[in-house]
Amino acid sequence: MILFKKPRRPKGTNSRAKDQNPAGGNRETTEQPVQNLLLSTDIESNLKQLKGIFKNCSDVVFREFLFAQREQIKLALVYTDGLVDKTLVSEQIMKALALNVPMATDNMEITRNNALHYVKMRGLCVHQVQETGKIQDVVDAVLSGDTVLMVDGHAIALINGSRGWEARSVADSITETVVRGPRESFVETLRINTSMLRRKIKNPNLKIETLKLGEVTKTELALVYIKGIVNEGLVHEVKDRLSRIKIDGVLESGYIEELIRDHPYSPFATMAHTDRPDRVAANLLEGRVAILVDGTPVALTVPYLFIEAIQTPDDYYEQFLFASAIRVLRVIFLVIALTLPSLYIAIISFHPEMLPTPLLMSIAAQREAVPFPVFVEAFFMEVAFEIIREAGIRLPRPVGQAVSIVAALIIGQAAVQAGLVAGATIIVVALTAMASFTVYYSGSITLRLLRFPLMFLSASLGLLGLISGIVIIVVHLAGMRSFGVPYLAPVAPTIQGDLKDSAVRLPWWSMRRRPHLIGQNDQRREIPGLKPEPPRPGRR
Amino acid sequence: MIKKICSLVLVVLLVLQGGCWGRKELGQLAIVMAAGVDRAPGGDIRLTVQLARPRAFGGGVERPSGAQENNAWVISENGETVLDAQRNLEKRVSRSIYWGHNVILVFGEELAREGIRQAFNFFTRSPTARETLWVMVARGKAEDVLNSHSQLENTSAQSAGSMLRMRVGEPVMLKDLSMMLASKGTNPALPRVELTASGRPQGPGMVENIPQGYKGAQQPPVGTHAEITLTGTGIFKDDKLVGWLNVRETRGLLWLKDEIKRGVVTVPSPVEPGKKISINITRGNTRVEAFFDGESVWFDVWMKMEGTLWEQQSKEKLTNPVIYKAIEKAMSREIENIARGALNKAQLEYGVDIFGFGEAFHRKYKREWASMQNRWNEVFAGAQVNIAVEGRIRRTGLTTNRLSEPQ
Repeated sequence: MILFKKPRRPKGTNSRAKDQNPAGGNRETTEQPVQNLLLSTDIESNLKQLKGIFKNCSDVVFREFLFAQREQIKLALVYTDGLVDKTLVSEQIMKALALNVPMATDNMEITRNNALHYVKMRGLCVHQVQETGKIQDVVDAVLSGDTVLMVDGHAIALINGSRGWEARSVADSITETVVRGPRESFVETLRINTSMLRRKIKNPNLKIETLKLGEVTKTELALVYIKGIVNEGLVHEVKDRLSRIKIDGVLESGYIEELIRDHPYSPFATMAHTDRPDRVAANLLEGRVAILVDGTPVALTVPYLFIEAIQTPDDYYEQFLFASAIRVLRVIFLVIALTLPSLYIAIISFHPEMLPTPLLMSIAAQREAVPFPVFVEAFFMEVAFEIIREAGIRLPRPVGQAVSIVAALIIGQAAVQAGLVAGATIIVVALTAMASFTVYYSGSITLRLLRFPLMFLSASLGLLGLISGIVIIVVHLAGMRSFGVPYLAPVAPTIQGDLKDSAVRLPWWSMRRRPHLIGQNDQRREIPGLKPEPPRPGRR
Repeated sequence: MIKKICSLVLVVLLVLQGGCWGRKELGQLAIVMAAGVDRAPGGDIRLTVQLARPRAFGGGVERPSGAQENNAWVISENGETVLDAQRNLEKRVSRSIYWGHNVILVFGEELAREGIRQAFNFFTRSPTARETLWVMVARGKAEDVLNSHSQLENTSAQSAGSMLRMRVGEPVMLKDLSMMLASKGTNPALPRVELTASGRPQGPGMVENIPQGYKGAQQPPVGTHAEITLTGTGIFKDDKLVGWLNVRETRGLLWLKDEIKRGVVTVPSPVEPGKKISINITRGNTRVEAFFDGESVWFDVWMKMEGTLWEQQSKEKLTNPVIYKAIEKAMSREIENIARGALNKAQLEYGVDIFGFGEAFHRKYKREWASMQNRWNEVFAGAQVNIAVEGRIRRTGLTTNRLSEPQ
């Protein structure tokens, strides 16, 4: 059972949220407050009002025309150019209403009073049509890509779902590639992302609640969970934390992550972020909650446990023995990525007796020409590697090759030949760098960060310093919680059933239960006895 | 917040105030590969160290061929004690002397005859020296033995260490020696090393002069290459060297101490007495039991040896069980002879128990031991030792009989 003993919340958000509106009162003094205004029956005044609101918004289009059935009746379309599906607007709305299409039966007369009804019931060929009487709704709809149709004489506008803007097509995941498994990744459009989840989980219990955040940007967020599996308390907690956010804009899920995460100062991530729909779907099935943000392909899932840093989606698709072996390796890589340079420094400069004599001799021979202490040497190499890595991300594609060649030359060859760096140090740094890439990305940037203090510690106190640094890290990890779940679970606290999916991954037929602390609402994942076996006489 | 900052500063200070305490950068160390202790004239201790020269190892850096440098630097200094001598050495060595990777410790013959306790204490006390270093005794001066190169290993110290690790001689680590010295039921036996001519020098830097007085008459005088060689065992009475065992007797010593790893036994053929058969010992164990009837002490030794027949000069059929048994019997007899040789020398010539028989007696007769422990060597010298050897030939290599027979 989840113990929300100590709900960790971002401190002080409450008090700050109350007294400030980060969007600023500035905007509302120059324009009329539109929140509570209602539409009037006079289309001209409505248009005037809207034109006032959308003043200098060159992309908002006002199209006025006459109703084909009764030419006295004036209609007006308002939409944002670029956000709407233009064929839909011209074919299904304009054509239908402006051309002479018979709409009324002979015995019914279209008047100003019932025009709206006819337009809605017989004229529009649009899937989603909503009525509203509020100017605010009209404004929101126009800015979200819907088309608003106003009919003269009615204080009600029709919002036609016509969203269709240029979007990046679904492509391969860039940050998390897999050998086996789906290739697709999320895109920047929220709707497409939710549809990807819906396609994987065809169940009405998959709930996708949307809300808007950002006083200025009005970014749409989707809170996704599977009712019946998810712990209601968790959903409530996430909603609660989200509801406290009052910020001008949310451009990426990272904003949300920093605003609602536990342990805001910790270098370790307490929320997972991924651009893979299958990862999100798997997390949802385990009872987690996902937060999708419009405008970014990166989704957040909570709670996030430390062990997830070594879990990849294809662990669950590949054969379990192989997956387990790789995971054990990843644990080792994680340790290497964090401690290898500091271990190297500590041993070379404090405890040379720990090395076998021939190894010590060959390292000593390499280091003979190096003018720096090993710490300085290793530190510079680490920094050099960070430079290359950062350059590799930032540089324009066409010059990539040049940089990699120069970097390989500088680090691999020239530094050794010039006697500035020992070959062993390069091996250590390169190994560390490679090992850090095997860990889940948000975990690897943490390791990257913590490597340096550990190097300082071991350079000043040797293994004693390294060990105390590791102790500090482990104590810190053991004290953390992500949305109520202990961060080191299922290792500490030990949950035996969950160890099946930790440093190893047991076959699917043995993982009968969902993670104990996360999916405790409905623990059973599968029926027992799924292990494939040849038929036996007594059993069927 | 201020509290937090203060504690952070304190922690950082704690780390920085340590000031790299105890740091010994690899480049600041003079790594001792071998240490030798001799008696200097005037009662001083002469400490010789073989320091590794990493620069000459040439790790990763190409060097012009032909300019082979010596991998080690051998340097000696006198002092009242070993530590004192080391202190004096530091006046000449630019780096701090580092014992952590010392492979061998060699006692000179003269010092060993006077007693090794006076030179041995430093190595067991010093925290950096390993208790797994191999201890040996030199024939002649330790200084001369250390002044050598190895053709295969980086230093001659490593070469000697590897030979002992393969149980070519009696392998004694520092901790074993401490235990032997502490026990009254046994006396130390250390492998004997000396330089012997070993092929031609493989380069200008590899020429040694074998010390005068110990080179055999048939050896060329100078300009030869010499390697540290294990040439037997030095027998100690308590901490004083009293005599030597040769290589064959050393094998008997190893077998009696149940330290058999490998060995070859050569016996005459039962059919053609002039020709030989060699058996490679692969496995064996030795059990010693002490007996005491109130007056005399005797020991029963059971040795079980298994071997593989790997060489046959003669042409008898090994498929014949009678011949096979006869070879096994000859093998047992030879093993007994070898063991007896070591035993006779220890009992009759030197009168010291180097086999640990006293320990076996102690284990069985705890009460009687108390009265005997101080005169154990005399008791041992007079004790009868019955040796029963069960030799077995398990395999005959890739063929059973000879592939071809002489006409």
